[in-house]
Amino acid sequence: MGLSRVAVVASAQTELRGAWSGAQHIDLISSVVASVFKGTGISLDDVDFVIDSGSDVLDGRSISNCGFLGALGAHHKEEARVEEDGLWAALYGVNKIRSGASSVGLIVAYSKPSESSVDAFWNAQVEPFYQRPVGFGHKAATGIQAQRYLKAHGGSDRQLAELVAARWSAAEENGGVAIDEVPNADTVLESGAGATPLTRLMLARPVDGAVAVLIAREDIARRASRAPVFITGMGTSMDRHAFGTRDGATLASAEAAARMAYGKAGWSDADADVAEVSGSSAVGELMAIEALGLAGAGQGASVATSGKVAINRSGGALPADPIMATGLLRLAHAARQLSTPELYGLNGGAGGPTKAIAHGAGGVGMQSNCVFTLEV
Amino acid sequence: MANLNKGRHVGIVGVGQTHHSRRRTDVSQAGLVREAVDRALADAKLTMDDIDTVVIATGPVLFAAVNQPEKWVADAIGAQLKPIVRVTSGGGAGFAGGLAGYYQVAGGFADRTLVVAYDKLSEGALQYSISTLYDPFWGREFAVGIMGFSAAYWRARMDVLGHTEEAAARVAVKNRRNAIANPYAHVKKEVTLDEVLESKPLCWPIKLLDVPPISDGAAAIVLAAEHVAHKSCDRPAWIHGIAYCCEADNAAERSLLLSEPLALAAKHVYRAAGITNPRRQFDVVEVQEPYTCFELNYYESLGLCPPGGAAELIASGATELNGDIPVNPSGGCLGANPIGACGLIRLIEGATQVMGKSENTQIKDAKLALVQSGGGWANLRGCAVLGA
Repeated sequence: MGLSRVAVVASAQTELRGAWSGAQHIDLISSVVASVFKGTGISLDDVDFVIDSGSDVLDGRSISNCGFLGALGAHHKEEARVEEDGLWAALYGVNKIRSGASSVGLIVAYSKPSESSVDAFWNAQVEPFYQRPVGFGHKAATGIQAQRYLKAHGGSDRQLAELVAARWSAAEENGGVAIDEVPNADTVLESGAGATPLTRLMLARPVDGAVAVLIAREDIARRASRAPVFITGMGTSMDRHAFGTRDGATLASAEAAARMAYGKAGWSDADADVAEVSGSSAVGELMAIEALGLAGAGQGASVATSGKVAINRSGGALPADPIMATGLLRLAHAARQLSTPELYGLNGGAGGPTKAIAHGAGGVGMQSNCVFTLEV
Repeated sequence: MANLNKGRHVGIVGVGQTHHSRRRTDVSQAGLVREAVDRALADAKLTMDDIDTVVIATGPVLFAAVNQPEKWVADAIGAQLKPIVRVTSGGGAGFAGGLAGYYQVAGGFADRTLVVAYDKLSEGALQYSISTLYDPFWGREFAVGIMGFSAAYWRARMDVLGHTEEAAARVAVKNRRNAIANPYAHVKKEVTLDEVLESKPLCWPIKLLDVPPISDGAAAIVLAAEHVAHKSCDRPAWIHGIAYCCEADNAAERSLLLSEPLALAAKHVYRAAGITNPRRQFDVVEVQEPYTCFELNYYESLGLCPPGGAAELIASGATELNGDIPVNPSGGCLGANPIGACGLIRLIEGATQVMGKSENTQIKDAKLALVQSGGGWANLRGCAVLGA
């Protein structure tokens, strides 16, 4: 079609903390915007546009991007606010470059849930007339999904707890996540009620943080990076809002998003070496793994921590969920695993990973999903 | 690597909007969206099955107290399992949504994209919501709502350029008169210059009749790539250029006389569309004027007159319906103001003019339209050139 190819050139993230109490939003944002260019030869002057993801509700501020334009490096540039997870912002940016209208774009996502009521953020998404009054919300949806999944496929609490412990351990090692003490499976099981049958630590933990991803047209990316990672496919899909009409034990919209992304990439299936997946809970992560085609229905646990695909070497969303930035972080980590696999304990060189999947989700009970395929 | 500077051509092939009003108690936000979408799909001779992707745009979610409302309204338009994304940009949200949709088609992600924008302002506390725009530590104490800032801005133009209240009042008279022929407008009442000047000061020099209404309303367009556009209509409105720029919000460093982000956007867009003399080349202009004084700023920032020349331009009658560069034949925001939808409504009004099917006063032989929109506190500004 003559459309430009687009690559991830570089990424930067802040440490992900339960609370960044000594820093404002603009501090987190400007720190990643300032450091993402390091070693690329590209500077802010070369950036054609900035696309950002954040939430007015979490920020407690209308049109909150408006207050952060300076920190975003967007002054006198084209800027857009995508009020979804940052992976959707990246999708917008890739389209902008593919069209030929722009060559270099900066994608930024951030979150500071420590200053907000996370429950209010989720519950305000629920249908206002019939569902809100009865108290239905994200936790209820997440618990119901887990109940249905476990009923359909079996699986034990301990299996889920072991998955969570493995993810926290990976997050401490590779995820840039501040963790006082990595929980073991027993701690996860004893962490108190989260959303029955899930314990508190089986739910994704909201954290503060920011991430920036620099994307560019192929010729620029090749000059700026020794190992540009090409975005070869993108897909998104949004399921029904009415939770009762969704299939409780599968993520139909993640399946549709993956089909679309793989189709655009020319993949016949989930033919990847690396996958970075967002899950609202331990069961949500298994459902996402299955929806992406990395395992059959009910088989997610068997490939989640050991299998031919390296899944969530960054730890994924369970130990660190900077709401609105989680999926963009998955893109950053997936790209880094292809460009510098040894940093994640993967083999480098000729036998190293060449294909990756990045996944983001949004909405109550992971209503909306976005999938990228990456290749070097 | 051929075609590096040209993506796919994108046209507007179907449009729809609601009959905007102060308070729609008969529909929810989702129902409002459905009305506009049904009309746009019918206009494009398509059903939802033909749509590849959907962009939903609204003003700040505090306006209507449903967070991420795209996830709710998706059900009402039958878009389940389609790619849906929400874009927001304050008052310019509708235009920003159109821009996001444009790139989905231009970048090859979709052949047909439905863009829908709406606000149901009767359901929230508008000026309270807008007040939270300002910095929580340094701005909110004194910057109440958006009117105070806008009044200061207008006063600066009066002091520096010698413009008068009368110049802006002429905008009110013109746009309010034009809105009478617009079947979707919410306020249809002719006013005289004296009535505007004598109307109640709300935040001087802003007076009651300089201010648009607060409306419930939705608007939708179907964007199509060239190879499928003609299935919907013989004469699409092609987007020859579109951009939306910003300036950081440090007010002390901003010159509010010309809009820097709008001038920047116009530079990009005019280059893409081959515009060298906007006053002569455009047949019709649609701008989003949250207060009358802003329309004057846009004349200058868009190059329809020299900097400082807006008062003279409006006084000359050139921007009237029968002038050489009619601005807002639809009546603009003074006719209807569902904020998050306004940018998309301006695109619709510009598009239908060049498609030759305006439901307002059709400008004869209109071939090239200029559309402007913006949001934030006047620091997010964009424009587009549409041609048949």
